[in-house]
Amino acid sequence: MKNFFLLFFSIYILTSCEENNSNEINIYSKRHYQVDIKQYENFEKITGIKVNVIKAGDDELLERLKNEGQNSPADLFVTVDAGKLQKGVEMGLFQKIQNEIIDSNVSDDLKDRNGYWIPITYRARLLVYSNERVKKSELSTYEDLANDKWKGRLLVRSSSNAYNQALMSSLYANLGEEEVRDWSAKVVNNFARDPKGNDRDQVKAIAAGQGDVAIVNSYYIGLLLSSQKQSEVDAGNSVSVYFPNQGENGRGTHINISGFALTKNAPNKENAIKLLEYLTGEEAQNTYVNNSYEYPANPKVKPSEIVQSWGDFKRDKLDLNALGTFREKAIKVFDNTGWK
Amino acid sequence: MIIQVGNNLDLKTVKFQDKAALLLFALIFSPIVFLLVKSFYQDTESLKYLFKNLLFDYSINTIYLVIITSFFSLILGIIPAWYVSNHQFPGRRLIDLILYLPLSIPTYIMAFNYSELLSYTGPFKITYDFLQIEILGILLAFSLYPYIYSVSRISFSLFGSKYYDLAKNLGLSGYQTLIKVVLPLSKPAIFSGLFLVIMEVLNEYGAVKYFGVNTYTIGIFRSWNSMNDSGAAIQLSSILLFIVAFLFFLEKYFNQNKRFSFSKNSKLVSLIRPDNFTKFLIYLICLIPIVLAFVIPVLFNLINIFSSFDDINFERLLNLTFNSFTISLISSVLILVVSTFFLYNEKISNSKIYYYINQFISLGYSIPGAVIALAVVLSVTGLDNLNDSIKLLGSFSVYFLILIYAYIIRFMAVGKSPIKSSLEKHPESYDNSAKNLGLSNFKIFQKIYFPINKHAFFTALILVFIDLMKELPITLILRPFNYDTLATQTYEFAIEEMIPLSSIYSSVIILICCILLVFLKIFLDKSDVFRN
Repeated sequence: MKNFFLLFFSIYILTSCEENNSNEINIYSKRHYQVDIKQYENFEKITGIKVNVIKAGDDELLERLKNEGQNSPADLFVTVDAGKLQKGVEMGLFQKIQNEIIDSNVSDDLKDRNGYWIPITYRARLLVYSNERVKKSELSTYEDLANDKWKGRLLVRSSSNAYNQALMSSLYANLGEEEVRDWSAKVVNNFARDPKGNDRDQVKAIAAGQGDVAIVNSYYIGLLLSSQKQSEVDAGNSVSVYFPNQGENGRGTHINISGFALTKNAPNKENAIKLLEYLTGEEAQNTYVNNSYEYPANPKVKPSEIVQSWGDFKRDKLDLNALGTFREKAIKVFDNTGWK
Repeated sequence: MIIQVGNNLDLKTVKFQDKAALLLFALIFSPIVFLLVKSFYQDTESLKYLFKNLLFDYSINTIYLVIITSFFSLILGIIPAWYVSNHQFPGRRLIDLILYLPLSIPTYIMAFNYSELLSYTGPFKITYDFLQIEILGILLAFSLYPYIYSVSRISFSLFGSKYYDLAKNLGLSGYQTLIKVVLPLSKPAIFSGLFLVIMEVLNEYGAVKYFGVNTYTIGIFRSWNSMNDSGAAIQLSSILLFIVAFLFFLEKYFNQNKRFSFSKNSKLVSLIRPDNFTKFLIYLICLIPIVLAFVIPVLFNLINIFSSFDDINFERLLNLTFNSFTISLISSVLILVVSTFFLYNEKISNSKIYYYINQFISLGYSIPGAVIALAVVLSVTGLDNLNDSIKLLGSFSVYFLILIYAYIIRFMAVGKSPIKSSLEKHPESYDNSAKNLGLSNFKIFQKIYFPINKHAFFTALILVFIDLMKELPITLILRPFNYDTLATQTYEFAIEEMIPLSSIYSSVIILICCILLVFLKIFLDKSDVFRN
C-alpha cells in the first residue's frame, strides 16, 4: 500500500511537470467565464501560443502577484472592475501598454487615462422595474431613488458586493461626500427588505411582489432571460430595463469594465500584447457578445440581440480609475448609513 | 515518519525524534506565526475604524450564528445517534448510514440550493425576509450536524454495558440515562465534534455573504477586499485566532479532570426493542435530518442536472474529478500521517512537547482558508529560491506542493479529532504491557495501536478527504496554472448565478463523498465499532 502510494505520487508529480515552454502566456484571472476558455483556445489555434490561467478573487491574485515579485510567472492580470486594476497600478504591479492596434480597437472613454490597463468589455449597473406596479415615467436617475415615493419598494444586494461598491464610488466621485451620504441614508430607508441574495434574486423579488425597483447588472438580466427554467424567464419578463441619468444634462448610466493589465515583470510580454490585440479585435469581440451579455469595448461590434433590445444608452464618462480611488470612502458611506 | 526507537528507550534517539517533531511542527505552524508577527507591524488605522463602526455588530452576529448552528447541530446529531445506538428497529442500518451523508454537501451548496428552492422561481415560493440568521444557522447545521452525529455514535457505542446497567439500577429512564450518564461521559467527544462545527461556522464565507449576514469573517474580507487593507485582515484573523485559542484552552481547563479512559471493554448491551409509538418517534426524529439535509438538496441537484444535461462537458468533468480526487487523496494521507505522528508520540512519550504541539496544531482550522492562503503566499512566494525550485521541478509541481502544504496547515484539526478521541479511550496499561514485552514504539504502534484504532484512522482519512473535496478558498488562491477542481468549477458557476450548470460538479463531489462515507460505514460495522 505504502509503495503503491509512493509510486502513484511520483508518477503524478512527474507527469504533471510541464515543459518550460516560452510559447505561452500566463494569466491571473478574476474572470471565470466559459467564453474566456473559448477565446484562449481560438487564440492558440491562430498563433500557436498556449494560454495558461489561474482563476481566483482579484484581491487574492494581486496579493499573490505582489509577493511573487520578480519571480512571478504571470504576464497578465484580468478582472471585472476598473477599481481593482487601479489598485494594482497603485501597488506598482503593472507596466504601461503602448500599442496602436489595441489603442484603435477600443472606445476612448473606456480607456485608462494613464495607459496601464486595457478594457475588453463593459456592463451597466442599471435599474429594473415591475411592469405591473411602476410606470417608466416615474424613473429618472440614481439620485431619484432617494425620493420618498420609493419607500419600501427598493431592492438591492449587500454592500459587500463589488458592483455596489463600484456604483457607490462613482456616485461619490460625481456628487461629493455630503450629498452621497444623504443619498445613501435615504435609499436605505427606502429598502423593501434587508439586502440579501444576488442580482437575479432582486429581479425574482420584484416578480414575487416584494419590491418594485431593483439595482442590478445588465449582464445578469441577460442570463435570467436566457435561462432554461421557464419560471426564471417569466421573472425576467415581469420587469423592464431602465438606464438611469439619461436626460439631456444627465451624466449617463454607471458602467464598469473588464480589463487586462500587463504585469511589471511579464516574462512573455510580446505574446501578451498579441493576445490583447486579438481580444480587442472584431473577431474576439463578437465572440464575447455572442457568448455572454457583456457590452463590447470595440465600438465597431454590436452587443447581443437581448442586450440590443434594451436600446442604446449614454455612458457615465467618469474616469474609471475613480472606482478605485473612491472605494474606501464609498465603503465608509455604506457603513455609516446602515447599508448592510 | 515514525522513527524506530529500539527496544529500550534510548535518550539520544528519543531526543532526535523530538527534534524532528519540533521541526515538522515549526514547518506547519510557521505561516501562522508569520501572520501573528506581521499583524504587529501593520498600520492600525483601518482596524480602529472597524472596531469603532462594525466589529460589535459583526461579533454579535457571529456569536448568534454560532449558537444557532451549534444548537441545531447538537439536536440533529445527538438525538438520532442516541436512538440508533441503543434501539433496534427496521431500517436501522440504512438510517444510520444516511444520517452521515449530508456531510458530503458543501455548506454553500446547501445555502444556494435552499434559497433557490424557497425563492419565487422555486417550487415552494416562500418569500421570507425575516429570520435571516436563524434560517442560515439551520441550513449550516444541515451540513454540519454529521460531525456531532459521528462522534456521538462512536462514543455512545463504545460504552460498555456497565454504565447502562448502573443507570438501570439507579432507576433512570432512557432519557435520564442519556442526559445524566451518557452525555456527561461523552462530553469530550461531543466537544471535539462541536469544535469542528464552530470552526466551520467562523470560516463560512460564501453562504453568509449570500444571506447578507455580516459575520466576523465578512469583516476580514471587507477590510481586505473592499478597503484594500490586507494588513487589517491579518490583524483581524490574528484576533480571531486568539479568541479561538482562548476558548479552546478554557474548555481544556474545565474538562481536564473529566477526561478518562475506559477501564475495560465491558460486554455490550443488547439493543432495546421499542414499542410502536417509540418506533414512530424514532422514524420521525431520524427522517427529519435525512429528508431536509440530504434528500431535498440532492433531488434539487438532480433536477438541475436533467434540465441542463446538454451543456455538460463530460471530458472536463472527468478531468476535474481526477484532479479533485488525487489532490484530496495525497493531502489527506499526508495529514493523517502527520497527525498520527504527533498524537501517538504524545501518548507514548514522556516529553510534554507533544502535548503542546497537539494543542497548537489545531489552531490552523480557526483561520479562514483565504487567510491561511495569504499567510502561505506571504511566507513562501517571496522566497528567492522559489525560482530555482520552479526551474528544477516546473511551476506546476511547486505550486501543487505549496497547495498541499496549505491544506496540511488548515486541516490538521479534522484529521486529529477522531484519532485523538479514539486514543484517549485506550488505557495506559496497553503500552505498559507492550513495553514490558520489549516491543519498540513503532512495533507497539504497528501491532497494537494501529489495529485497535484503525477505525479512527480510517474515519480521519475519510473526513479530511471529504473536507478537501469541498475546499475552496485555498485552492482558488494557491493553485497552479490551468488547475481546476470540482469545487472551484462549482463555485465559478454558482457565483455567476448559474446554479443549474454547477449542479453536475457539486453532484460529483457529493457522490464521491457519499461512496466514501458508505465505505467507511461498512468498514466500521465490520470492525464492530458499533454494536450491530
